Amino acid sequence: MNRLLTATALAAMLAAPAYSETFRWASTTDPQTMDPHAVSSTPVLGFLNNVYEGLVRRGRDMTIEASLATAWEPLPEGAGWRFTLREGVTFHDGAAFTAEDVRFSYERASSEASDVRSWFAPVSDVVVVDDFTVDILTTAPQPIFPDSIANWMIMDSGWAAANDATGVARDVENFATLNANGTAAFRLVSRQPDLETVLEPFDGWWGEVEHNITQAIFTPIQNDATAVAALLSGEIDMINPVPVQDAARIEAGDGVSVLRGIETRVIMLGFAHDHETLQNGAPNPFSDVRVRRAVAQAVNVDAILQTIMRGSAEPASQLVPPSSRGFSTGLDTRPPLDPDAARALLAEAGYPDGFDFTLSCTNDRYINDEAVCQAVVGMLAQVGMTATLEAGPVSNYWPELRAGNFDMYLLGWSPGTFDAEHPLRFLVHTAGDALGTWNFGGYSNPRIDALIPLIQSEIDDSARQAMLDETAATIQEDMVYVPLYVEPLLWGVRDGVSLTQRPDNFFILRWVTVD
Amino acid sequence: MVSYIFRRILQSVLVLLVVGLVAFAMFRFVGDPVDTMLGQERTVQDIERLRESLGLNDPFFVQYWNFLGRALQGDLGISYRQGRPVAEIIAERLPATLELAAVSGTFALLMGIGLGVFTAIRRHGFSANAIMALSLIGVSLPTFLIGILLIYLFAVELRWLPSFGRGETVMVGGWSTGFLTQSGLIALILPSITLGLYQMTLIMRLVRSEMLEVMRQDYIRFARARGLSQRAIHFRHALKNTLVPVITVTGLQLGSIIAFAIITETVFQWPGVGLLFINAIQFVDIPVMAAYLMLISVMFVGINLIVDLLYVAIDPRLRS
Repeated sequence: MNRLLTATALAAMLAAPAYSETFRWASTTDPQTMDPHAVSSTPVLGFLNNVYEGLVRRGRDMTIEASLATAWEPLPEGAGWRFTLREGVTFHDGAAFTAEDVRFSYERASSEASDVRSWFAPVSDVVVVDDFTVDILTTAPQPIFPDSIANWMIMDSGWAAANDATGVARDVENFATLNANGTAAFRLVSRQPDLETVLEPFDGWWGEVEHNITQAIFTPIQNDATAVAALLSGEIDMINPVPVQDAARIEAGDGVSVLRGIETRVIMLGFAHDHETLQNGAPNPFSDVRVRRAVAQAVNVDAILQTIMRGSAEPASQLVPPSSRGFSTGLDTRPPLDPDAARALLAEAGYPDGFDFTLSCTNDRYINDEAVCQAVVGMLAQVGMTATLEAGPVSNYWPELRAGNFDMYLLGWSPGTFDAEHPLRFLVHTAGDALGTWNFGGYSNPRIDALIPLIQSEIDDSARQAMLDETAATIQEDMVYVPLYVEPLLWGVRDGVSLTQRPDNFFILRWVTVD
Repeated sequence: MVSYIFRRILQSVLVLLVVGLVAFAMFRFVGDPVDTMLGQERTVQDIERLRESLGLNDPFFVQYWNFLGRALQGDLGISYRQGRPVAEIIAERLPATLELAAVSGTFALLMGIGLGVFTAIRRHGFSANAIMALSLIGVSLPTFLIGILLIYLFAVELRWLPSFGRGETVMVGGWSTGFLTQSGLIALILPSITLGLYQMTLIMRLVRSEMLEVMRQDYIRFARARGLSQRAIHFRHALKNTLVPVITVTGLQLGSIIAFAIITETVFQWPGVGLLFINAIQFVDIPVMAAYLMLISVMFVGINLIVDLLYVAIDPRLRS
């Protein structure tokens, strides 16, 4: 190839005015891989949702809707689910989509190297009934199984075999690390990790096209200030996230606006329930529910939201946000802010003069996490609880929490299934190998442990909700965690671009239109 | 002579080995890669299996030994974050850093010498004093701030230059270059100034003080007495004698331009090895961190070795 010619052509391309249909967006994190089963994280799954599709997908309001499956129904006696597949769907390389691809994708996604295998924990087998019917058999009834596989992306078995990508590319590189072949509205045109990833619309897509873009270019920009500058200078059409402290300034400027929403992540305070002593050797006050309640009544969440989050977030009362399935609407109240009551509770618990302890906190994981913790320290000091703040990067945080080196800690939880059962499984169930893996504080309640499998397998919606309400009430009563607020979503968008912000922070290109 | 060179090389290898050992001893304080590699629904077994397969349960010197063994065979391992061979990733990213370093080094050298001579000749002039005052800002403002200021002025307000990235690049052999496209050249301007500003002020101040020193020497007075033109005195006689220490310093600064590119690269989203290293730290991507640190230390040790050997070549007293 004539390099000079290429260079001239590129220069000419740049000199010409940018086509409005080319959409450029930036985010702080590059999707690590193009393999849909290798990494279960929002940047990867969110990005790949534009390239790959699952049997079901989530709509603009997070409801489950048909995608590669057109219909699904539970099998008799809770044996699993039958999915009727969409006919006439092709992958980006032209291969036809059939039930065999579903079976292959199940085997791939549930293999040991897969990071999404927990979605298939209740699955015993996937049976191909005919080319367009698949039975997914489960060991127990799974009423919300379709909800839990909305991000399970289907890969072409023939493509994977031909390119030696049948295994999940996690500790090794394979063809699927840099290449993709899905069925979704966009196909991967070029991929330069950490640099630029280009998507173009897939002409053979089965769905109705709502967007008007001809090319979409993703660039990771790590530095917030640089991303904001790129948006303001018009080089980028959309950035995610906008730093909360810059949102007002961006809104005041011309040509750009901030799209505000509420994410699904609840920020909460956790406690060392089962520790004998605090880090400083004193007896552990947090095993007393009165002390935990005192914390809840001493923290002024509204003030935190107004000052640190600049009015962008919403207070939380439970471990999931109000929009999620199974939220207990009757229990949507936080303990009232009442420092006097908090002091009384402390005195009643035997700490009239308060106590010293350590608050562990991240400084690079959640929005303004360290500032929130500093505010919490100040508020607790007013009722006599003197906290030493230990804030550090998240890469060191989870190992410390796993090792039990904390008294009280900050935690954010985003329910992967968008259902109230999700945090119960990980945050509240007695700590074990597969369940309660994030229950660092060691809270243990046999009644809740018994309820969780029942909730998971209850077909009847009202019976299920009743059990969820019971656990939510118990968690509030025992003050297992003190939920603070639901994190905000702040996207910076150039005027003339319309898009949809979904609460799971997935950016879906097929809902983008550019003027 | 041969034994001197041999000794210096041996010392260099020893320094490299110690740097590697210290680096591996530090990695455990950076954090646990397993948490960043696994999703939130991982089980305890998943964590253990991954730790075992990555060899994270071994003591750090065993990990270091394994790394060395593989590195000697040319295998730098697989990046935890990208799941791709580290050598491949570094080869992709190195051209960006080297081109940025070359341009900002040239900028620093040319501007530094030019302004240094100017401020020395016109030492009482207004503009020379203004440049000296401004150079103080260049030395004292952190790179990060200078970068952001330049971006807001030239990218956001004036919209002359891009705020991030490398522009279009062209592959020449295995080397991605930004020198051959218009956007690639334009994209180099702001990051090069940001990265080179500190070095430029350093060279400028060095040239100025050397020049002032030289101008007081007898041979310059004789040159004036002989009636040589100002231009000949300044540039043929004075500047030449000024440049000896400048060249030494510049050589040594070249290493630090590459090493300190980290901040500039982060501010401008410049896809070089510095940005790669920052990503690696956040993700606890040990193979990438190890490879980067070894690369930088090989470079520093190499430059020092060459400088030492050059001294031997230049100074006959060292040869005996």
